Amino acid sequence: MRSPSSLKKEFLTKWVVGLRAWSSSSKEMGLLERKKAIKLSADVAMAAATNGTTIWSHTLINNASKDPNSKHMVQSILTSARARDQSNEPSKFPLLSPPTRCARNRVRSKKVLRKARINYIQRCSRRSAASLIAKTLVKKRTQVLKGLVPGGECMDESCLIKETLDYMISLRAQVLIMQHIAKVMELFNSK
Amino acid sequence: MDPIGGNEVRSMNGAKDVEFGVEAYQFGEELHSLMSGPPVTGNSFTALLDLPANQAMELLHSQAVDDSPSELRLKGHCVSHQSPYNHTLNWAPAFPSNTALIERSSKYSIFAAADATVDRVGGGGGGQGSPDSSSMPSNSRANVMKVKSEPADSGSNPNSLPHASGPTINEKQMNRKESGKKGKGSSKRGKTTANDNSEEVEKLPYVHVRARRGQATDSHSLAERARREKINVRLKLLQELVPGCNKISGMALVLDEIINHVQFLQRQVEFLSMRLAAVNSPMEFNVDSLFSAGNGSVTDSIFPSVMPLTWPEVQMNSDRQQWQFDYDKSANSALFHSSQRKMEL
Repeated sequence: MRSPSSLKKEFLTKWVVGLRAWSSSSKEMGLLERKKAIKLSADVAMAAATNGTTIWSHTLINNASKDPNSKHMVQSILTSARARDQSNEPSKFPLLSPPTRCARNRVRSKKVLRKARINYIQRCSRRSAASLIAKTLVKKRTQVLKGLVPGGECMDESCLIKETLDYMISLRAQVLIMQHIAKVMELFNSK
Repeated sequence: MDPIGGNEVRSMNGAKDVEFGVEAYQFGEELHSLMSGPPVTGNSFTALLDLPANQAMELLHSQAVDDSPSELRLKGHCVSHQSPYNHTLNWAPAFPSNTALIERSSKYSIFAAADATVDRVGGGGGGQGSPDSSSMPSNSRANVMKVKSEPADSGSNPNSLPHASGPTINEKQMNRKESGKKGKGSSKRGKTTANDNSEEVEKLPYVHVRARRGQATDSHSLAERARREKINVRLKLLQELVPGCNKISGMALVLDEIINHVQFLQRQVEFLSMRLAAVNSPMEFNVDSLFSAGNGSVTDSIFPSVMPLTWPEVQMNSDRQQWQFDYDKSANSALFHSSQRKMEL
């Protein structure tokens, strides 16, 4: 069982590693670029601090690895963990390609779903329109949620909810730590 | 919301339902699995491995008179886990319908808070860590046990059973009724979920789902109902996590709140990274000066010193003005209104 403080500590150390990787590249960065770098390293560190069983973490890391600028940082985060923990952490995040696979499944399943839906409606014609409206509402919102959660396009509903749960927890931890760091840095700077 | 309406119908019809004991048992098993670390086998009452339907029915009826533990042992013949099975029997409570959700949420929150720090912020963090990790072993079994009981269903079980002996009496009652209801249910094999990590769950790809009284016995609808229940359980977990979502009923609104919350968190991350970038502007990522002074000591000093403070809430208030400065006002102010409301709850 992963305790929350250990998650936060792991995230923090990995984030520091990522930031150091950026600074070692010794590039002059504007404000926006710096912000993007910070955010990216924070996201990747959060994804790496999980147990590696969730889809969103894999997608985050894969997307970050595709970008040539940030690839070095991602590698440093992943390898530092391995050096520290003697756990096979890089193997937790193999560079697989879920998007292409699930895109095909999605296209295929849409046709099946459409036919099933037509059959279902014809069979249960006594159902009220209200339930259909409710269903479309729910469907729209699941679409939005799929857009929010990284890698959400390739998930079914139950998986999506599980991923959202995990993602929300990690986001909260990330926000907490970033708030702490920001506060500390501002105090540090003001002196 | 359809599932809730369906549950109410079920609970009304439910005096003779066979499902309740099954579901209460399975649900109790799920909870027990949450409480205990090592994976207790998903040894549900109707979880028969490869038996065809008629053989399963035979088994069930032949054991109608027996003791429940022996009978369950027979049914779980493919799996040999008797002691934890009985243990789960003794543990699994029978929920009355009203307090079921409260009890379950309290169980989750108790479990979540068990390893968390005491304060509110830590409590939020504690809620993060353990439901997440606890949901992992339970989900591995959740993939096996497709039927998730709604606790409301067990409420109409006419015996208000004491805690310890609840499930055993449930089982016996269920078996007696079962012999009378041979042809009622259609026991079918539930479809396995696609993402079955069957390596760790060493058994039971199939779960027998029984149709309830007054409901369609179509295999499609059964599978769909099992799927729906699984989704509802997870949705309840999400509801407990998102602040202010407990009072909302209706899937669309709950999903709305969840979406709002996730968007809010993501925007907070963006804003905080902007803040950090602005803070760092005199020094180029000079994080080393801060952290090299003793990485562990800094991190350790951060957590206990800042956690007891309520300044995250203060942060949120101060964040508000800056967000309106940085981003689109309308979207964010709407988000902030909702978030402020939630924080005050």
